Amino acid sequence: MNPTPLSSNTTRPRQAVLMKGITKVYPDGVIALRDVDFEVYEGEIHALLGENGAGKTTLMRILYGEIRPTRGEVWVWGERVEFRSPRGALAKGISMVYQNFTLVPNFTVLDNIYLAVSSTMRVSRGEVVGRLQTLMGELNFKIPLEATVEELPVGLQQKVEILKALVMGARILILDEPTSVLSPLESRALFELLRALKAKGVTIILITHKLREVKSVADRVTVLRRGRVVGVFGVGEVSERDLARLMVGGDVVVEGRKLEGVRGGVALRIEDLHVRDDRGLLRVKGVTFNVRYGEIVGIAGVQGSGQKELLEAIVGLRPVERGRVLIDGLDVTGYGVGERRRMGLAYIPDSRVEGLALTMSLTENSIIGLLERFLGRLNSIRWGLAEGYASGVVRDFNVVHRSLWDPVLHLSGGNQQRLMVGREISANPRIIVAHEPTQGLDIASSNLVRSKLLELKRRGSAVLLVSSEVDEILGLSDRILVMFDGRIVGEGAPGDFDEEKLGLLMGGFVEAR
Amino acid sequence: MRLGSLENLRSQLVEVTLALVVGFVGGALALTAFGYNALENIQVMISYGFRDLGYLLLKSAPIVLTALAFLVPLKAGLFNIGGEGQLYAGAITALFLSKIGFYLAIPAGALAGLLVGVAIGLLRVVRGVNEVVSSIMFNWTLYYLSMFAIQRYLLDPVYTHQSIRVDRVLSLPEVVTIMLLSPLVVYLLLYNTELGYRIRVAGSSSRVARYAGVNLNIVTIQSMAIGGFLAGLGGAIQVYGVTTVVDTTLSSLYGLGFLGIGVALIARGNPLAVIPAAVLVSGLLIGSHWMELRGRVAPELADVVIGVIILALSAPYAYRVLASRMGWGVGGG
Repeated sequence: MNPTPLSSNTTRPRQAVLMKGITKVYPDGVIALRDVDFEVYEGEIHALLGENGAGKTTLMRILYGEIRPTRGEVWVWGERVEFRSPRGALAKGISMVYQNFTLVPNFTVLDNIYLAVSSTMRVSRGEVVGRLQTLMGELNFKIPLEATVEELPVGLQQKVEILKALVMGARILILDEPTSVLSPLESRALFELLRALKAKGVTIILITHKLREVKSVADRVTVLRRGRVVGVFGVGEVSERDLARLMVGGDVVVEGRKLEGVRGGVALRIEDLHVRDDRGLLRVKGVTFNVRYGEIVGIAGVQGSGQKELLEAIVGLRPVERGRVLIDGLDVTGYGVGERRRMGLAYIPDSRVEGLALTMSLTENSIIGLLERFLGRLNSIRWGLAEGYASGVVRDFNVVHRSLWDPVLHLSGGNQQRLMVGREISANPRIIVAHEPTQGLDIASSNLVRSKLLELKRRGSAVLLVSSEVDEILGLSDRILVMFDGRIVGEGAPGDFDEEKLGLLMGGFVEAR
Repeated sequence: MRLGSLENLRSQLVEVTLALVVGFVGGALALTAFGYNALENIQVMISYGFRDLGYLLLKSAPIVLTALAFLVPLKAGLFNIGGEGQLYAGAITALFLSKIGFYLAIPAGALAGLLVGVAIGLLRVVRGVNEVVSSIMFNWTLYYLSMFAIQRYLLDPVYTHQSIRVDRVLSLPEVVTIMLLSPLVVYLLLYNTELGYRIRVAGSSSRVARYAGVNLNIVTIQSMAIGGFLAGLGGAIQVYGVTTVVDTTLSSLYGLGFLGIGVALIARGNPLAVIPAAVLVSGLLIGSHWMELRGRVAPELADVVIGVIILALSAPYAYRVLASRMGWGVGGG
């Protein structure tokens, strides 16, 4: 008893996956998916397109057996299934590759793959090596099997994940935002691999929010918005513009507007900075630049090029190996976080787990780092004043909440992000360091945050923006620095760069002139 | 901070009621299993335990303080198991000072507890010694040191099984005042001052604390100092307000610090709730002695009955604290 097909194509290829009427309500009452139908044919590359929070990953985790739907049916290869765990999905040939890889960093490639394979079937190392050689031969690429995983570039680590899935017998491969950690060149290599896999008959589901990827590699696309399917197309029959509109739902403003401001003196100066990461590796290798008042300096770069370590050194969270950090011409290299904050420095970290005390309330989180402003007699906290500040933040940044005294824990990711960003911007800092400030936000909220940063700059503050989103950097910055492998490899005005040039620099392929 | 929402309060009430039921049923089962009349004995425990209000409050006071001694460091993310030793330090120091002047004895006792707390904090900050490990070692060290001090310097020449007797400096109303005021002061400190805010941010996440410019080392020492101060004060009060004498086996002090841990957990980490929690536990303790007397229940079994009840009451919160600390994905703290 096969289910009725959703499309009425007569020369329809075999159906690999059918999800019918999937609804998922999380225990906290959030409806992640509403009555979603999703169909994938054998041997196609099917893009699942949507903004952050549209429900893409939830849908795929249901298919992969990690979570169970509240309602709805899942059919794989024409057979009704109810997976209780990923093990069941694996048995049907479904495998998922996450953004964060599930590899043991200090194991070799072979050890990692053998570890995974041997947990599901009886197999010798020799057989695994044989299968890997055959696969790499067919797919036309090579990875040294004896190399330690952490020594490999991210692009190759991802290929190890894919190889692992294939050796374990995956015939349906789910890739969750696979290019988010890759440079443009690595992305291109990944797409080539995906095409080769498709030629071998592997079915691929590509979770993404990048339109260009859909157009360049997918055969068909399903668009999700706020937990509903808003369209299913062959990629040839739909334009990028239409997809964008469907994805965001009408309100399309893609770029932040630039506002002219008065350029002032040097606010922040970084001199020949060298910084090590937690493992002791040198991640910032001699960086020098200035940020002036009334200016936004954008640092573009693939995640992991040393930006995190650079910013942490600037705000005082990480010791400096060599070099200096100056605020208003004063050497603050030896100062702590609090002292730098008191000098008017604000910092939006790239992780909400770092910037928000989740068990504490919205009000309490609003004054983290600004405590001095809210102290009364005997160092008591003036909660009335703090509440006033918090209510300003939630109003200006659309933080949806029940009570200002609820723990931040209960807010959705987007609301947490807006609270954290809003708190730092509302403090009117003279210098602000923002790391991926629009992370996890939908387009409307992203634009809100961008316009607030521009307003801050227009009022004379210095802004240092680090983002892996090229559009954001190009749209906001007065000056752009490109960082690769701990060094500044390119510098110029936004007009000096187009997306391709920026992409190549970020991938480390063009030396700065 | 404001009080939690009504809904939150209701779920807590349900939890405590359920825990009480589970605890008493468990205790009754233990009694029945060993052939005692459960209903009769539990009735004795409850009716006698809460009969003499003055005595009940007197007994509760030191436990309120040791509970707060556990609670303040807990808010900073530290497990101060050392309330026991800090209490000994406070009691014995206060005893020593009775020779010089008793008005100094009580603050000196608190100060002694504070020093022990600071020592544990320093070990953690400077040498990276886990506070649980050093607390336990301090507990035993101070236990034997205190016994030695009583035998060697403080022994009563007539009654050689106990220390010299001090004057009852603190009257019942004074002890009760301290017992009621301390939680209030701790509450205001935690929720209405800069220091309390820093302590709570540090307890929420060390990463966030660093981000906020909170010096974790200083907060560790500060919160352990406050904890030690409170436990030391508890020891001094036990001597000058309750027993006026310490026997050579420390039986009048032993266990008060550990009891505080249970009480703080029963109070769900809320300083004000420590008062009713301590009264409840003291009442059960007093009642259990009557149960031994009237029902001829073996003392060990009486301890089991109380243990089951305290366990049932504190387990849900203890689990949440552990879970949030270990990152098991449950909210709490």
